[in-house]
Amino acid sequence: MAVNEKGILNRLYFIAGCMFIFGVAVVFKLVSIQFLQGDKYKVMASERIVKDVIIPANRGNVYSANGNLLATSIPKYDIRIDAITPTLKVFEKHLKPLSDSLSKYSGKSSNYYQKEIRKARANKNRYYLLARNIGYSDYIRIRNFPLLNLGAFKGGLIVEQTTKREHPMGGIAQRTIGYERFDEKGNVTRPGIDGAYGIQYLRGTDGKRKKQQIGKGQWKPLSDANEIEPKDGYDVYTTIDVNIQDIAHHALLEQLEKYKADHGCVVVMETKTGEVKAIANLGRNSNGHYYERRNYAVWESHEPGSTFKLMAITAALEDKVIDTSDVVDTEKGILTFYGKKVRDSKYGGYGKISISEAFEVSSNTGIVKAIDQAYGKNPSKFVDRLYAMSLNEKLGLQIIGESSPIIPDPRIKNKRWSGIALQWMAYGYGVSFTPLQTLTFYNAIANDGKMVKPQFLKEVKEFDRVVEPYKVEVINKQVCSKETVAKVQQLLKNVVEKKHGTGNRLYSENFSMAGKTGTCQKDYRDKEKLNYISSFAGYFPADNPKYSCIVVIHEPDKSVGYYGADVSGPVFKKIAQKIFTDTPIIDEVESLKVKRASTEKEYESFYQTAQTYKTIMPNVVGLPAMDALALLENMDVNVKVKLDGSGIIKEQSISKNVKLKNNQTIVLKAS
Amino acid sequence: MILFISGLAIVMIASSHSADKKVYEIARLKNEVNEMRSAFIDGRSKLMRLKMESAVVIKMKEKGLSPSIIPPKKIKIKSQK
Repeated sequence: MAVNEKGILNRLYFIAGCMFIFGVAVVFKLVSIQFLQGDKYKVMASERIVKDVIIPANRGNVYSANGNLLATSIPKYDIRIDAITPTLKVFEKHLKPLSDSLSKYSGKSSNYYQKEIRKARANKNRYYLLARNIGYSDYIRIRNFPLLNLGAFKGGLIVEQTTKREHPMGGIAQRTIGYERFDEKGNVTRPGIDGAYGIQYLRGTDGKRKKQQIGKGQWKPLSDANEIEPKDGYDVYTTIDVNIQDIAHHALLEQLEKYKADHGCVVVMETKTGEVKAIANLGRNSNGHYYERRNYAVWESHEPGSTFKLMAITAALEDKVIDTSDVVDTEKGILTFYGKKVRDSKYGGYGKISISEAFEVSSNTGIVKAIDQAYGKNPSKFVDRLYAMSLNEKLGLQIIGESSPIIPDPRIKNKRWSGIALQWMAYGYGVSFTPLQTLTFYNAIANDGKMVKPQFLKEVKEFDRVVEPYKVEVINKQVCSKETVAKVQQLLKNVVEKKHGTGNRLYSENFSMAGKTGTCQKDYRDKEKLNYISSFAGYFPADNPKYSCIVVIHEPDKSVGYYGADVSGPVFKKIAQKIFTDTPIIDEVESLKVKRASTEKEYESFYQTAQTYKTIMPNVVGLPAMDALALLENMDVNVKVKLDGSGIIKEQSISKNVKLKNNQTIVLKAS
Repeated sequence: MILFISGLAIVMIASSHSADKKVYEIARLKNEVNEMRSAFIDGRSKLMRLKMESAVVIKMKEKGLSPSIIPPKKIKIKSQK
């Protein structure tokens, strides 16, 4: 191309054109990013630096009736060590002292820790676990161990904090207080109160807030208010009384250990309100230790055995087909129905006895015969009466997992009914109840026939505001007539008070109680596996009952004992006794101004002596030591009194009417 | 004008920094609250176990004391004027 003006211009135009197109392309791209794809990128940008942070709500606490914490959420710590971070010099210097401290803390040997931590360093493990799930005080302790006290950057300390549900009372009533636990698949297990009320009250709702990222891994809130305010869970107050629970737990534990039983439970319920004051469920693990294994009282339905005789007798009395004074023949202790035998625990039976006595000695044949004679022709009537006493329904407890009661019915074809069903029912076989269901009936008898639902919850609170109070719920206003109640109350009292009663070994002069023993065979179809369920259900005091209580112990060691009165009775007695000794006897006095002639006279003579003898020795022989001391020490001269013994003064070293000097010592001898 | 605007900018930056500082402070305090709470529950649960009757009974056995088997008596005066 020629180098002339036109050529230069052409080049210029070409370059300018290129520049222009480039410029247009840039503008086009800018516009397209800004307007066409703008929204997408804006979202991307805000996602990186702004996020919705969930503000977790605090789970409510579970309290006992008197305000002790039973379950709460607290931070727990996992301590790990980054074995690479510390320099070789620091590592070597502190490894031994650290291992020593750790071994002192955990009980494992110091060498073990040295080896393990060294191995972690060799394997480039930056996340070696030292302690898991430890409480605050342990965390502080470990944090101050050598090497770890150098912190994260020099010592390699890693602390992870998680919120865990904690039961400050430890193992006591754990199954009833309960928890809510999620596994990896998102399945929930929720035993106990904590579980049952998790969604409704305890959980609360999580809040949300937009936050922007700033340095050091922190986020700052973008706006003043939260998008969604977190709402903390409500506090739940249970009816459990820590003192009674403590007694019940330890009394049961002691008895389980003594009889090497498989498991057992105790429930203490307040008669009028149905509030469950204590509930202990202990089962044995493979090492022979007992712990709160399952909520047996709520879940485990079993044949009640003799404790069911109360229901049978109540039904028959209510139908007026028997009376307590009717005489039955126990037939040498064996009855036969369709080739099956009913036996008495006493070989040879009890002869001819009244029904009340049959109940008190817990004669199987006596009760079975009475029920057979009364209802043999019309068993449906007996079953209907049991239904009328609300025995066939679940209690509708707040705690999840209650089993349904079983009562055979000739009109329902489910293979439960047979020719011997009525007779077997009479002494508690073929039927099935949970301990709590049995207790509810006993409580109804204690409560003069009014059946109330067992309550675990007193109220739900948000700080001091009561969100939901729980009231007494009546299941059945009158399970049977007042006369029937009075009769069976007397029977239950006699079981303990009468010499022949099965519960007589529990009798105490100091306090009264009433109840029924039960010794029930379990797995009786196979003689090899035969075991027992020992139970005791009742209430105390016998008149105007305050609490009802049931104790059920499964599979006691037969060689140690298995009778209800021996195995379960003592637990009942211990609880009754404890509650009795913890309740003060209140004597009411009209007025403090009571004048007793003898006291007045003594006072007069004391006053006379004190007024007369200011510097000379009075006669103190015959006076109580307390008065003699007061007399001598309040005189006008300062004397020292030496007193031997206590009680009434027998001798005085200085005789009467002798003038006393300052700092003189008087020796008094008392009996 | 430019001076004024840059002055404003400095004020803005300073205040945003001070806000950040507060966030750190809050995070630190929150941690502290958590720790305190944890310490409180720890102490309380220890106390609860110690003051349970069964624990006291075991401790007192060494000193030869045991729970009374008769209830305490309380005398109440009805009218006192």
